[in-house]
Amino acid sequence: MAYLATFYWGWLLGSVLLGLAMGWISVVQHGDGVPRKWRWALAALAAALVAATLTRVVPGRFGYWLDLGLIMFALYLCGCAVGSWLRDWVVSRSQPAA
Amino acid sequence: MHGLFRWSGKWWPGVIPLVLFWAIAAWTSTEPLEADLAQRSTAALKDTILDKRRISVAGRDVSLAADAFSEDGRQSAVASVEAVPGVRLVNDETRLVPEATPFVWSAERDVLRVTLSGSSPLPASKGRLMEAARASLGGVEVVDRMNLSRGAPPRFDNAALLLLDQVGKLKDGKITLSDTKVSLSGMARELGGREAIAAALKNLPEGFSVAANEVKAPPYIFQAYKDPVAVTLTLTGNAPDNNVHAALAAAAGRKFFSEKVVDNLKASVGAPAGFANAVVPALGALSRLSTGTLVVSDREVKLSGAALYEPAANQIRAGLGKDFPQGWQFKPEISVKPAAAPVDATVCQQLFAELLGKARIRFESGKADIVADSAGLLDRLIETALRCPNTNIEIAGHTDTDGDEAANQTLSEKRAQSVTDYLVRAGLAANRFMPVGYGSTQPIAGNDSEDGKAQNRRIDFVVR
Repeated sequence: MAYLATFYWGWLLGSVLLGLAMGWISVVQHGDGVPRKWRWALAALAAALVAATLTRVVPGRFGYWLDLGLIMFALYLCGCAVGSWLRDWVVSRSQPAA
Repeated sequence: MHGLFRWSGKWWPGVIPLVLFWAIAAWTSTEPLEADLAQRSTAALKDTILDKRRISVAGRDVSLAADAFSEDGRQSAVASVEAVPGVRLVNDETRLVPEATPFVWSAERDVLRVTLSGSSPLPASKGRLMEAARASLGGVEVVDRMNLSRGAPPRFDNAALLLLDQVGKLKDGKITLSDTKVSLSGMARELGGREAIAAALKNLPEGFSVAANEVKAPPYIFQAYKDPVAVTLTLTGNAPDNNVHAALAAAAGRKFFSEKVVDNLKASVGAPAGFANAVVPALGALSRLSTGTLVVSDREVKLSGAALYEPAANQIRAGLGKDFPQGWQFKPEISVKPAAAPVDATVCQQLFAELLGKARIRFESGKADIVADSAGLLDRLIETALRCPNTNIEIAGHTDTDGDEAANQTLSEKRAQSVTDYLVRAGLAANRFMPVGYGSTQPIAGNDSEDGKAQNRRIDFVVR
């Protein structure tokens, strides 16, 4: 992981920034989120993919692509969380003033 | 926390550009990543000795195929690659180099090339052997048919390098090292090569031994040619050392009283045992021929030529082999020279005088025993006597003045009788010869010098 981080930090940074932006937007966005039952399915899929990468069952290039995808996705989620939390903090500070 | 859960339901649109990012990243990074990992893995194996090493990388998985020379080496190679940062999995396709029992290595030399074959323990030893072969064989093509195997005896390299040196001394042949046993066969390049190889093999590393040494040497040749026209005796070929060389030249000088000795011998080691003891009598036999060639090849003595008369031919055929050391063979091809035309008594006397003017019949000191060196001269005297069959000949013995006169008288008589007996044994009629002893009464030179005395000690043939 450390090797990948130093090798392709640009792409990883891009994922974080994308996550930050998405998280920032999602707090004030109106519209439907992902339905509840889909969430469980998606979470299960993510868990299965993480399990696959940890057990190293996917060989060769596909294994590498899976690792890369999961790292980027994880960083994206972190970016989203940080972005949402920041936006929420900014919004909640400005509301009493308004 | 509840907010984070609520917001996360709206994060999905960002996944679309993320997937795009991911695809581009995967597209552009895979090959550079693989190249980088291959390079790092190769560098990690730099100090590990492996044969047929192949590294292929798919994603972050490295496939390592190689032949290792020990189980430890194999495991450490795999571990080294596993330790390379970024490597996810190592597909271990390594195996151990096969073990050879017995561990056989050989070097074979023919006219054109030297072929190294069999097993070699490590790539480095293989390289070292090839390099040593090229260096010591200077210019000869060296073919590498060695494979790598485990199970070499300790100090294999030293033994093989020493054996490679010996290949340089062979004209053709094969040297095989089977575990610690060395076998050699073939033909040495030069005289003495066999001995040099045998001496070098004493320096084999501890634990190694010679199982069979069947290296042959080129034949050890000595030749002597008696040329009646040029009146020369030409010696060619080899003599073992300067002492034997000098002894042969001296013997030739004594035995060939009228021929000039042309000495083209060269000193070479590798002579068969008893060389001088066989060659000296053979030169004596050659001196009795009118023309002839003596060829000594290893332990075979071939004498061809023409004797001066029939009994001489028989004596040479039957007698020479008996004088040889054990193991020597004699192959006579002796014919008899056609009898020369008869001459009258005057010419006969003249011929005797000519012969005895060139050389004297020699005896053991103080005795009446004729020395073998005089056989050639006696044969010529007999041949001359055969040319005048109707003459009677006085065999006159003379001495110098040293010693008691009565003893000299007796010695001269005995010596004259001894010569007469020799002539009779050669088939001449006994009644033609009158042995007479004159003691020191008829000197032909002064008895006051060694040279004069030597001239006075003589046998004269006087035609009556």
